[in-house]
Amino acid sequence: MNFTSTKPHFENLRKKWIIRHRNIQQNLWDKHKESLTWLGKNLSPKKLVLGSLGGLMLLNSPYQSLSGGVHLAQSKPGILEGFDQNVLLASQLKEVMPEDVRPLDKKEEIDILNILSRDLGIKASAELAGIRLNRNYGLIGGEQHLYRYPGDNLQAHADNSADWAKYGGSGIAPGLGAWGYFTPSKEAFSEKDKQRERYYLAIQTFLAPGFAENVGRYRDFFKFRKMIVINPRTGQAVVAVIGDAGPAEFTGKHLGGSPEVMDVLGLAGGPRKGPVLYFFIDDPKDTIPLGPIKVNNLG
Amino acid sequence: MKNFYSHLIEIDSIILELDKMDLSKEQKQHLADILDSSLHHTILDAVLSELNENDKKIFLRNVDEGINAKIWEFLNGKVEHIEDKIKKAAEDLKLELHKDVREAKKHD
Repeated sequence: MNFTSTKPHFENLRKKWIIRHRNIQQNLWDKHKESLTWLGKNLSPKKLVLGSLGGLMLLNSPYQSLSGGVHLAQSKPGILEGFDQNVLLASQLKEVMPEDVRPLDKKEEIDILNILSRDLGIKASAELAGIRLNRNYGLIGGEQHLYRYPGDNLQAHADNSADWAKYGGSGIAPGLGAWGYFTPSKEAFSEKDKQRERYYLAIQTFLAPGFAENVGRYRDFFKFRKMIVINPRTGQAVVAVIGDAGPAEFTGKHLGGSPEVMDVLGLAGGPRKGPVLYFFIDDPKDTIPLGPIKVNNLG
Repeated sequence: MKNFYSHLIEIDSIILELDKMDLSKEQKQHLADILDSSLHHTILDAVLSELNENDKKIFLRNVDEGINAKIWEFLNGKVEHIEDKIKKAAEDLKLELHKDVREAKKHD
């Protein structure tokens, strides 16, 4: 597949402006938390248009005055339109999070899980089927793409030039993930397989308590196990699956994320790492889609 | 319907700079939307920073109702030179955004 050339000046400006926008939002929230929370509780949810695309809901709306005429700041139907309500999640988490990036104690774990269940509308859990990870708060680092089927290549991972521009640079790991290929052949490759590779995590499954004594059971449990990962500083959150084991302990990192996961978490730039919360999702009927997840109401 | 501050702030100068760049229509729109939202939140912050907690709620309720005359009547009664403060906040942001555009053009 041939891709159109990217425009570095656009990417440069877009990234700067998105970071600036997020800082402005965060500043607004930090300074006026009480009144904004009041506003959220006293307006109809329809007026509080939820954020998307990393908190920039307005990016999806047409900008009518782009061409022609004098450009005046345009109206928006809701005061908080464009306000990423996942910032509210970050604010709530801030109250119960430890300052250091360390394993959570029981009270912290319960408080955090209560907030996640309420704000995200999912059943997140530190323990499922009697299995826990070594920790649920740690440093995530950016991983490469994974081969999905025999004969797969890096370019095939991108649906369009935007995909390529955003994620192509991450490269593809030379080896396979912990479960081998996502599917045995290109012919058998499905949308579900595609989403699993897009939103995969490398988890230190080998450090889970009891792993050495129950390798087979644990392996089956961890394979493509659905998880929620949250950047507690911003509230950005993603639903992903365990697609690989790692990283090694000596790296100082505690889990890894696919290029798309890192992008959703707002950690795709700079050192490509940062602290995150990560928990299992109890979703036996597989109803929760992989990808970004937004706060569904104001707490 | 325009925002209550629309008559005070023009963003033509930045849009014109974007027009001079090699960008697709979608890319320009994408950037313009970020600009618009950044401006919106900056101005909300500028106004809220001048009000006490109770007045913040009244202001937000007024904005929610979208009656600009009511908003200005309230603000003018609460904050001296509020229009100048809004303009100043917007101009400061625009300066930063212009600087970003200039730097981005170096990557052309």
